[in-house]
Amino acid sequence: MQHSGSTNEEVRIVKATSAFDCGGRCPLRLHVKDNTIIRIEGDDADEPDQLRTCLRCRAYRQYIHHPERLMYPQKRVGRRGEGKFERISWDEALDTLAGQLKHVKTKYGNSAILLMTGGGYLASLHRGGAAAQRLLNLFGGFVTHYGNISSEGAVWASLTQYGSVMVGHSREDMLNSKLILLWGWDPARMISGTNTMYHLIRARENGARVIAIDPRYHDTAATVADEWVPIRPGTDTAMMAAMANVMIREQLHDQAFLDRYTAGFDRFKAYVTGNEDGVEKTPAWAADISGVPVDTIVRLAREYATTKPAALMDCQGPARSAMGEQYNRCAATLCAMTGNVGRPGGSAGGGLMGIPIGHMFRSPGIPPGKNPVEMTGPKIKGTLDIRERVIKRIHINTLFDAILKGKEGGYPADIRMAWSMCNNYLNQTGNSNKAAKALESLEFFATQELFMTPQARYADILLPVTSTAERSDLMRPWPSGPYLMFSNRALDPLGECKDDLQIAAELAKKLNIDGFETHTEEEWLQLFFDNSSDLKQHIDDFERFKREGIHRIDLEAPVVAFQKQIDDPDHHPFDTPSGKIEIFSQRVADIKDALCPPIPKYQSTVEDRNDPLAKKYPLQMITPHPRNRVHSEMYKVEWLRETEAHRVWINPVDARPRGIEDGDTVYVYNDRGTIAIVAWVTERIIPGVVSVTEGAWYNPDETGIDRGGCANTLTRDAYSGGGAAVLNTSLVEIRKGEGS
Amino acid sequence: MSQVAFYFDQSRCTGCSACRVACKDWNDIPAGPENWMRIQYTERGQCPNVFVSYLATPCWHCEDPVCAAACPVDAIFKRAEDGIVVVDRERCLGNGECDEKCRKACPYNAPQFGPEPGAKMGKCNYCIDRFEAGKLPNCVEACPVRAMDAGPLEMLKEKYGTIQNAEGFTYAKRVKPAVIFKPKPAAR
Repeated sequence: MQHSGSTNEEVRIVKATSAFDCGGRCPLRLHVKDNTIIRIEGDDADEPDQLRTCLRCRAYRQYIHHPERLMYPQKRVGRRGEGKFERISWDEALDTLAGQLKHVKTKYGNSAILLMTGGGYLASLHRGGAAAQRLLNLFGGFVTHYGNISSEGAVWASLTQYGSVMVGHSREDMLNSKLILLWGWDPARMISGTNTMYHLIRARENGARVIAIDPRYHDTAATVADEWVPIRPGTDTAMMAAMANVMIREQLHDQAFLDRYTAGFDRFKAYVTGNEDGVEKTPAWAADISGVPVDTIVRLAREYATTKPAALMDCQGPARSAMGEQYNRCAATLCAMTGNVGRPGGSAGGGLMGIPIGHMFRSPGIPPGKNPVEMTGPKIKGTLDIRERVIKRIHINTLFDAILKGKEGGYPADIRMAWSMCNNYLNQTGNSNKAAKALESLEFFATQELFMTPQARYADILLPVTSTAERSDLMRPWPSGPYLMFSNRALDPLGECKDDLQIAAELAKKLNIDGFETHTEEEWLQLFFDNSSDLKQHIDDFERFKREGIHRIDLEAPVVAFQKQIDDPDHHPFDTPSGKIEIFSQRVADIKDALCPPIPKYQSTVEDRNDPLAKKYPLQMITPHPRNRVHSEMYKVEWLRETEAHRVWINPVDARPRGIEDGDTVYVYNDRGTIAIVAWVTERIIPGVVSVTEGAWYNPDETGIDRGGCANTLTRDAYSGGGAAVLNTSLVEIRKGEGS
Repeated sequence: MSQVAFYFDQSRCTGCSACRVACKDWNDIPAGPENWMRIQYTERGQCPNVFVSYLATPCWHCEDPVCAAACPVDAIFKRAEDGIVVVDRERCLGNGECDEKCRKACPYNAPQFGPEPGAKMGKCNYCIDRFEAGKLPNCVEACPVRAMDAGPLEMLKEKYGTIQNAEGFTYAKRVKPAVIFKPKPAAR
């Protein structure tokens, strides 16, 4: 493909990695010739230390050199969303954007300017909207969003329970486990750190029993699970509460551990035994809710309580639901009840899996400065009360509702224009049809992009940005390494692409803004290194680090979350108000929100199967991560697309009465929209539930049917009491499409 | 004569397709029907007792390659020095001319053709350029869960045993595929 037109230039090997919103960071050796990546090899460390990339970065060059990459600035010439654009110069594009910024600021004030940033590029220097944020702060401020679509429920739960988000163990610690509960966790698809699936397989081969509790028999379960326990979405907390009930009745819980390290277990016990509300959370109670048989709940409770050490691995998917954070809190509570917190081979739960060594949260970056628009009002930092945070910012999963309704709808600003980079929120937050309407309603919308994404189609000005291969940057994996990475620039910018930092710097000139430092990329990265204690602690020689592209941090023993707090509690309290693991949280009680209880609880919610709406839309829909793209990134890459068709999983029990056969085109719909998609009739999903992977590109036809099969055409734009984006709590119905 | 072979640990395979994409990258094959590495899927049983397996399928570089025998113009041959079965694409007549006799003869569907009329046969060549440089085939190095290995058949037998059956695979005695398996157990 890219071999044609080659010259005699030697092939260079460039040490790099990707900056996708993916939990892995995998060393890549890019074979580069004539400003083109012609092949890719992975890590060449000696085994068993190789950090092996997944299929996605195996297809990296098809992404970087994709013929649909945006190569020059464009302006809209058709109707909003129609996708008709015309090539313009950078000068015209930036003049237009600068002009709109000035116009909106003058006419409506800075809070009418929305900055949309995201995880489309995760690294130090070129990260998200770091440069734009700095620029807009110097320009008088802007309004922006709050919350992480993926993990907010888990973050809230971990902060509540532990006062920390570093709740993970390094992955090789799974080898110490005798029992592993995969509770809503599918690392074969969702990369929770490079090599995670490999370590899980090794743990299984090492004799650990593995049980998967999930609506789907996903590929992780199919590979390692001794048993699959199908469960209805949104009911995990009920089953956990019943397991706690069994442990308490049979006195299988570790009371000494609870006494020493936790606060408020009695409150939870009162809830579980029914003393609080008159309803005992028995296995029969939970079986009715969750669909998991009574015997299975009892057996799992006993097995988990009596097998030591055991790792309950909850994750973030089930937490993207109407009371999602309760699932992570209840998981962490079970971890404490079984005395598995802080113990090798155990787990703390919490769903985040991060370790504090080389964590992404500690990455250096461009100092953003202070946002004048956010100077007044409550302090956002430290509060667990989401209502405090959304006084200043818009929750990410109501972003488009905020654009449509503004202050009248209770949002912090009346937004007139938006400037966007590193995201495709129209596609990746709830209710894509509403998002489209919101973007149509803006006075002005500019976006920086690599591809004509569903969201980019709504732009007035499209600015083409460089890919990771055209930048150098400092990189880290999401949850853990432990290693640090430097990705070397492999290519000169393709076409007329510029990086986001350059764009912000050029805008700064056009806006006559002083103080927007315009260091070169190399200078910035050197500055980050010089000023980062985290990097310097591990790396002596920056030049060598750049050359090798990776610094591996040797651990004497696997990292175990909260080991210090457990081994030496007198000197190492938890970072919570009580200094203990807070099964009851006064900070949460103070919020006084029925949907956000101070102990973990199950409650029935909107759009679960008990909602009267289930008569009209009887199927629950979940939207797990895709394997062959990173959310909506890499969607266009043909090598990846052909590995797996985009299909809705449906059990034969649900397919048969609807006349649906495997391979049929079907419509999945509810009051928010309709998607057209191919049916996969499979026993791998619990009856009553259908699954559509997120990230396929929204593509409405003239009748409004989304032919792209974007899961979020059907999801709600709402958030839970803990701030979780409610993307796995949707009721839908399915009917067979025409011609199938 | 020595014989190269593949090892495939089916119990580890998650069906992720990293091998398949790495093959396309290294050998520069466009998306489409020409897949030197294929992943076969098996599902049976009923919720919650479901069995799922994947089978990575490159060319098994058979000891008796029927594809070579089937080729009307002798474009396919087995290398004496290592047993790698290769195709001379210059000599191959293309898909229309001979009606894909090699593909039809092969019990594993290893010979592959692109979509265009007259497309020449292509198939796994054990990453011969890597092999000659002392490297493993790209699929083997790409596997995130280390489910594959490659090397002389005798060496693989010593290392991994002699099982030559797996879920979704039938050992064809008439061609003698050069592969060792760790099959996925039918039930745990």
